[in-house]
Amino acid sequence: MERFVELLIAAILLAGLYATMAYGLGLIYGVLRIVNLNHGGIIMAGAYAGWWMHSQLGIDPYLSLVPVAAAGFVLGMVIYLLLVKRLPRGAAGGVQSLLLLFGVWLVLRNVAYLMFSGNDQTLRTSYATRALDVHGVLISVNRLAVFGVALLILAFLHLLLTRTYLGKAIRAVAQNPDSCTLVGIPVERIYALTFGLGTALAAAAGLLGAALVPFSPSFGASELLKSFVVVVLGGLGSVAGTALAALILALVEVFAILVLPAYLTAAVGFVLLVLVLVLRPGGLFGQRVLG
Amino acid sequence: MPAILRAEGLSKRFGGLKANDNVSIALEQGSILGLIGPNGAGKSTCFAMLAGSLPPTSGRIFIGEREITGLPAFQIARAGVVRTHQIVRPFANLTLFENCAVAAVQSSGLAHEEARALARETLEFVGLANRRREYPAGLTLASRKRLEMARGLSCKPKVLLLDEVIAGVNPAEAREMVTLIRRIRDERGVSILMTEHVMAAVMSLCEHVTVLDAGKLIASGTPQEVVANPEVIAAYLGKKHA
Amino acid sequence: MKLRWPTWVRPRAAIGLLVVCAALAMGPLLHDNIYWHNQLTLTFLGIAAALAWNWLGGYLGQVSFGHAAMFGVGGFAAAQAQIHLHVPMVPAWIAGGVLAGLFALIWGHPTLRLRGPYFSIATIGVGEATRLVCTYWDAFTGGSSGLSLPMQQNLKHQLYWYGIALAAVALAGSYALRRSPLGLSLLAIKSDVDAAGDVGVSSTRLQDLVLFLSGGMIGICGGFYASYFSYIEPGNMFGFDRSISWVLTGVIGGIGTIAGPAFGAVVFVLLQQSLIASYPQLYLGLYGMLLVLVILFEPLGLTGLALRVLHRARPDLSVTGVAGED
Repeated sequence: MERFVELLIAAILLAGLYATMAYGLGLIYGVLRIVNLNHGGIIMAGAYAGWWMHSQLGIDPYLSLVPVAAAGFVLGMVIYLLLVKRLPRGAAGGVQSLLLLFGVWLVLRNVAYLMFSGNDQTLRTSYATRALDVHGVLISVNRLAVFGVALLILAFLHLLLTRTYLGKAIRAVAQNPDSCTLVGIPVERIYALTFGLGTALAAAAGLLGAALVPFSPSFGASELLKSFVVVVLGGLGSVAGTALAALILALVEVFAILVLPAYLTAAVGFVLLVLVLVLRPGGLFGQRVLG
Repeated sequence: MPAILRAEGLSKRFGGLKANDNVSIALEQGSILGLIGPNGAGKSTCFAMLAGSLPPTSGRIFIGEREITGLPAFQIARAGVVRTHQIVRPFANLTLFENCAVAAVQSSGLAHEEARALARETLEFVGLANRRREYPAGLTLASRKRLEMARGLSCKPKVLLLDEVIAGVNPAEAREMVTLIRRIRDERGVSILMTEHVMAAVMSLCEHVTVLDAGKLIASGTPQEVVANPEVIAAYLGKKHA
Repeated sequence: MKLRWPTWVRPRAAIGLLVVCAALAMGPLLHDNIYWHNQLTLTFLGIAAALAWNWLGGYLGQVSFGHAAMFGVGGFAAAQAQIHLHVPMVPAWIAGGVLAGLFALIWGHPTLRLRGPYFSIATIGVGEATRLVCTYWDAFTGGSSGLSLPMQQNLKHQLYWYGIALAAVALAGSYALRRSPLGLSLLAIKSDVDAAGDVGVSSTRLQDLVLFLSGGMIGICGGFYASYFSYIEPGNMFGFDRSISWVLTGVIGGIGTIAGPAFGAVVFVLLQQSLIASYPQLYLGLYGMLLVLVILFEPLGLTGLALRVLHRARPDLSVTGVAGED
């Protein structure tokens, strides 16, 4: 019984991270209709940024979250303005933007490899290994902290999108960019800001992820795929939808350990991705994924 | 004369919404049939089912004696029922000739060289022969619509389904389009079913008109009969005016 | 007996290919540089694989990031056939290829309903899932220790000529798939799969055919690779980096063109060779930058550049070079 509760809690805590990760991808897709294949690269960069600030400057990762996210925001805007903006929008640009951002990912990977070598790194703080004992159930402090921060980020996001002018403008552009131009919303600027915001979220998620698992320059590929699963499952409408989908994914992953041998559990996420893409009708947010 | 294209009791359900309810259509060989109705009447859905773009929920479709209900679009095209698209969809990466050639090679049933000759000929028929090596991007909308018709004709169809071909072009082009459609029927012996909003075209081209409203067939007859039908008037203008 | 070519084959192209193959085949008589002999063998393999990838990625426009899955399936199947069933080398390659092609059909047929970027993402998932499952499927792949093929005297050296044949077959296949009437249908599918169906193109069947051929050929390449190195292990065969390399050679060489990916493969090998001494792990980043530049400025990559240069000399040169010329 304890084991079951532990797994359940582990899944919930993991879901917070997955939701934050996925929202960065979903936001960019929902507004710009672009699949950010650099998502994994940014996650990796965020992990390294947090690690570097901790190991070189001694800054606690949760404190460096804001500067890392800010740096991610700027990086995202630069990538958009310098590169993505030049591509045709919509169906014509689909595979092209995918390949473009993939190229950026490769460059980031190589930069990380040159700067930090290809070895696995871990972000280990002094309190990382502590665990809380709640009625015989052990909860890792680390995971709890990551979950807490993830919740804060998602709450912030929700408020941003629903209560601020910027947030409403973003949602308007996601629905109908042409009408937005007519009412004076600066669509191109919104695109740039959204790309920056999505990148910032990915960077933050990367930092949080670094607190949990070892990482290397190849980090990010499976995180990209999991984000995609969450986005397709949860739709793009609400933070709540994303959170729910993230929870489903985390539950499947965590409880797969009970049913499958260890080595196959990693494959579960990928299989889920393919199934979700192929079987889910209607696709994302009304936008058809099929045809 | 026997109906070359026949639909019996076509219905289409999208979840709870019944887009088409028990619609029956008969297109006589060598004639032009208009399918009209106010917005939201279900014309596009009906059209899509006839073309094989959408499978019917119930009902049957025949070309001649052969049943084509629920067949994939490519088999329906090869069986002789070919559609154009309301929003034109030329193959952007192929020249005009290649657009027609692929259709001819796949659907006309002709040997390779004859199929290519047919493609050349249909482009000539619609007046685009001199541009056959260009790409669709360089064409005006009216020309692209003519390309769609040439491509459709390259399939050597028995029936051509025209999806709002007149709408969206200027009056001079519209007149040319009407002439072209008539020539398709007269010179190539192709039967035509057209959905259309431009009433003038419907009145001058169609021998027979079928009217849909809210998914149901509400009238069928000559254009003159249909226009005078109080139910049709009510459907378009509201009950007060019937 | 008079040979009859199908009308879409230009005799000059066929003769050109034969001449090049003959020249390459006789090359080793003129030098005994073992290093370049083997490098060329691997280049031929790279050319064949890049071209096969392009059938799906370029001709159909469905970019796969998971082709290593078929490479691995083909390679391990061929290895197993040779080790346990004592099947001779080339039939083993073909058996591996068929298996790989069927595998491609199994995951590809339902997935091809997805368009563009979504298909690509799914292929990442397929590639990685296959790698993970096969890494631990001891019976098929030998687990992380991999499989060793029985050593054969002088095989590596002989594979040079097999390599020429493999690349030539892939090139001929690329030519046929593009210039035959089938090529026109594939281009139509790539442009607008639904409209293609509306004019009688059996899109699903043709897509399945391309899936099988592309996956199968890559599978044969896997078998070739296994024979060349005499040892294969799943992490290497099924690796994401391997899948990426074909995306790169395809796009940078000229995605959708007949021979572009072959140029991409040659450049890839040359770059790897020149960088491997001085900056070993740089080439992925370099290729990433090239990818970005290609997407932004020259969609047809190296082939596009070459065509631009040639266009000045001969403006009537057709880019698609399809059977549709009239």
